[in-house]
Amino acid sequence: MAADTAPASPLSPAVFAILFSLAEGEKHGYQMMKDARSPEGGGVRLGPGTLYGSIDRMMRDGLVEESGKSDDERRRYYRLTRHGHSVLAVELQRLDAAVKSARRMGLIRAGGRA
Amino acid sequence: MMEREKLEGLYALALHLYPVRFQEAYAPAMRQSFRDALEDCGLARRTLIPLVVRDLITSLFKEHFAMLYDTFARPALVYNALVLIALSTGLALALNTIPQQVLRQGANDPQIAMAGDLAARLESGIAPAAAVPAAAVDMARSLSPFVIVYNDQGQPLASQAVLNGQTPTPPMGVFDYVRQHGEERVSWQPVPGTTSNKDEKSVLNGGMTLQRGHGVRIAAVIQRVNGSTPGFVLAGRNMREVEAREEQVGQLALLTWIGMMGVILVGTAAYGWWTRPKAA
Repeated sequence: MAADTAPASPLSPAVFAILFSLAEGEKHGYQMMKDARSPEGGGVRLGPGTLYGSIDRMMRDGLVEESGKSDDERRRYYRLTRHGHSVLAVELQRLDAAVKSARRMGLIRAGGRA
Repeated sequence: MMEREKLEGLYALALHLYPVRFQEAYAPAMRQSFRDALEDCGLARRTLIPLVVRDLITSLFKEHFAMLYDTFARPALVYNALVLIALSTGLALALNTIPQQVLRQGANDPQIAMAGDLAARLESGIAPAAAVPAAAVDMARSLSPFVIVYNDQGQPLASQAVLNGQTPTPPMGVFDYVRQHGEERVSWQPVPGTTSNKDEKSVLNGGMTLQRGHGVRIAAVIQRVNGSTPGFVLAGRNMREVEAREEQVGQLALLTWIGMMGVILVGTAAYGWWTRPKAA
């Protein structure tokens, strides 16, 4: 997938949370919602409508794809594409640079929260 | 268990509110996600229900907007519509302008002949009073053509036309022009009113403020009279009927334009809907 179809950085909280969740491996909808809700996943409260609306657009942008795995007729699993991985990496680098700057400025403590 | 089934049933009903393509693609998976959330003991109902309601409202709005955008805002569709709008607007402008110009030019026809004939008669030595027909024409009321003879200084010598009991005189600039070029064709406005046709040349006495519907406008042809007693002849005719026809043409052109816009709008919407992206 061409990089010029990547969504504009910074990513929306929903898109970032879905990419971040799928970075661990293929998952179904509720697993992604649960990951997003956790503090480690960004604390984003996704409902099914927002989740699948975002997935629809992310599939069109080539960030995620259906894995084909199915443990239930209605449960669909998704995974990151190569392009999705690189978009997530770029976003994480951007966030990392911002966090490093914030530490240098004393806005947050090393290894802790502000 | 009953409560869970009821909530799931309600959610399944709400899923029908999404656009069909989105429903076909994701409704079963969304329902399953909701069921998973209901079964998650770590997620309280008082957290889940408001979250799902908010999510329904925002995502319904977003997905319908996305559906409309995908259906009607495709570049090819918008480009075609804009091209059709531009062509239709150009056609409507031509439908408005060309007949108006033809009508206005046609309004000069008898005056051109009358002014030429009268100038020739005056140049042959006939006195102005004898050359001008005796029957008076009220410029404000009559639609009959009339003639007026002016001397070289622009003062009336003989006139068939009257306006408020007097013989009006065009601005001196008109005579200066005719002195140099031999002839001038203008829309003369001896009584202030409006100019309904912005393209044509209008001559106003004293540059007065205009108000619609109160003016007398004359399609005037002014010719130079040469010979031993030089001067000018003016042949004119009230433009009331011509302007009424011009207005009708303008209204027809506007109606045609509105009709064409309607056809383009409906046609584009129908074609957009017909060729909309379908569910995979």
